[in-house]
Amino acid sequence: MSKKFPINGKNLIPIILSPSMRQVKIYAIFSLILILVGSATSYWVADRIGFYTSEIMKAEEVMQLTDALYVTVLERESNIRAYVITGERKFLENYENSLIEGKQVHRSLQKITFENEIQQNHLKDLESIIRGRVEVFEKTKTYYMENKSLVGFLTDQRVNSAIDNYQEIKKIIKNINEEESRTFAEKNSGLINNIRALPFTVSLISLLSIAMGLLTLFSVFHYNKNQKDSLNQTQAYQDSLQEKLNLLDESNKELEQFAYVASHDLQEPLRKITSFSDLLIDQYRNELKGDGEIYLDRIISSSNRMRRLIIDLLEYSRAGRENDYSVEEIELNNVIDRVRENLEILIVEKKAKLTVSDLPVIKGSNTELEQVFQNLISNGIKFSKPNDPSEIQIDSTTATKELIKQFPQLDQDQAYHLIRLSDNGIGFSEEYAQRIFTIFQRLHGKHEYEGTGIGLAITKKIIEKYKGVIFAQSKPYIGSTFNIILPKIS
Amino acid sequence: MILKKKITILIAEDDDDDKLLILKAFEKTLPKKNVICVQDGEVLLQYLHRVAPFDENEKYPLPDIILLDLNMPRKDGKAALAEIKSHEVLKKIPVIIFSTSSSREDIETSYSLGGNSFITKPSTFEGLLKIAEEIENYWAHTVALPS
Repeated sequence: MSKKFPINGKNLIPIILSPSMRQVKIYAIFSLILILVGSATSYWVADRIGFYTSEIMKAEEVMQLTDALYVTVLERESNIRAYVITGERKFLENYENSLIEGKQVHRSLQKITFENEIQQNHLKDLESIIRGRVEVFEKTKTYYMENKSLVGFLTDQRVNSAIDNYQEIKKIIKNINEEESRTFAEKNSGLINNIRALPFTVSLISLLSIAMGLLTLFSVFHYNKNQKDSLNQTQAYQDSLQEKLNLLDESNKELEQFAYVASHDLQEPLRKITSFSDLLIDQYRNELKGDGEIYLDRIISSSNRMRRLIIDLLEYSRAGRENDYSVEEIELNNVIDRVRENLEILIVEKKAKLTVSDLPVIKGSNTELEQVFQNLISNGIKFSKPNDPSEIQIDSTTATKELIKQFPQLDQDQAYHLIRLSDNGIGFSEEYAQRIFTIFQRLHGKHEYEGTGIGLAITKKIIEKYKGVIFAQSKPYIGSTFNIILPKIS
Repeated sequence: MILKKKITILIAEDDDDDKLLILKAFEKTLPKKNVICVQDGEVLLQYLHRVAPFDENEKYPLPDIILLDLNMPRKDGKAALAEIKSHEVLKKIPVIIFSTSSSREDIETSYSLGGNSFITKPSTFEGLLKIAEEIENYWAHTVALPS
């Protein structure tokens, strides 16, 4: 075998410093937030621009309306003047129209500047002065209509008041315009600032978003690469494990083949030893003197024992061979019935009692299962207490999860039968519970109980081939229980 | 009255000890000249095909039955069996496989190649004696052989 197992398995597991999926997610969330903030800012800036634009347009409108208002004031002055000079009713009409128009314009102005308190106050002042002026006009009109002239109406006080009011109106109009110009300038600078800030804000946010996106992309790429690397690593690891398993399998097969061939070849010389010994006895019995015949008998019986061992070894090596049997669904009760028939003589001779309850159907081969139960039952009968006929009980339940957990070689998700075979025999000390399954392991002298010590080894091998487990529990002079765990048929 | 005809057995066996034991076993049932030994499958086929020096009919008669060991050097038992059983004339001769093996596989192949019997070599001389008697009795008296 050229490949060796690594001394330390840890060396094969690489420590990968990689961004975790968590990190990638955080990056992605960050860039999403940035994009959202960017969009909101751009929207806000655009909104500000819209706001300032409309404010500027409003300021322009206010100034236009103020001008229009001023024009109506002048219109009224000049039309009333023209009327009292010419007496033409046409001027009076113009005057009336200008009055209505002036009121309309005034209302519009009030409406448009309702947010600006200064302008509202200006307009209020303007309104009261204008109202004062209109009252004077009305009086002038009535006086003129009654007297057809203004003689006696125009006093110094009235003239001065007219001049003052006019000045006042002009001043307020000027104030309104100034105030509006100020607003205009203020909003205009806001607009310009926002327009200037727009590309800067947008590009800053965009740059950050792009950077964040790239970072996410990079970490995803890096993450994928590492995933792939570790996947490759795992794959390589699995491959090497598989290779080792194959090698192990191969060497196991070789070992079995070796045992088979060795025991096969060992039988040849042995057969000859017995055969020639037989021939010697057959032809020269009378010529053997003293203990000669006894020695020859010893040779023959030793050879026979060796032959037994070799046959068992052969059987043991065969028991482990895969694909050597056809798997069927086997009723264990039928298997036990056949074993009972095989052991009939022994059972009668030893007055043994065999009680069997309902046993399950399992997957296996008839021959092998017969071998298993024949070994266990004949052991039970063989190792009975002197003068106490053996009683053997076989039953079956479902193996508990706790029991299955004790055997890591079992599939923890699979359901198992627990088949128990108990006897009232001589038992053995618990410390031998494992050892009895070892090949050629015997707990008793050959003269007390005959056997090669291979039966349980074969039994174990077959049960393990069926992906099961066998273990023994025992108390000396009380009895033993052999527990077999075998997978249920799904 | 049944005429007691002595059959001729050709044994292919490479092992000298086994050869000796087999010859000893047949000594009691057949005359020495009726039991012939060759040491492997190659020689067995030369014998059957009458290749010199086996062209002397008197000294090397065509056998009534063949006792064939499976495990032999050069041409092993299975190859020899396959060759015999695919030969137009020779396939009529019954072939008894006589091997140490008792494996299912060997038994299956031997019969499927056309072997007429499969006997596992017994482990005692007594067993061998019994088999020699049974072979002689069965093939010489129980069954009728081709001429």
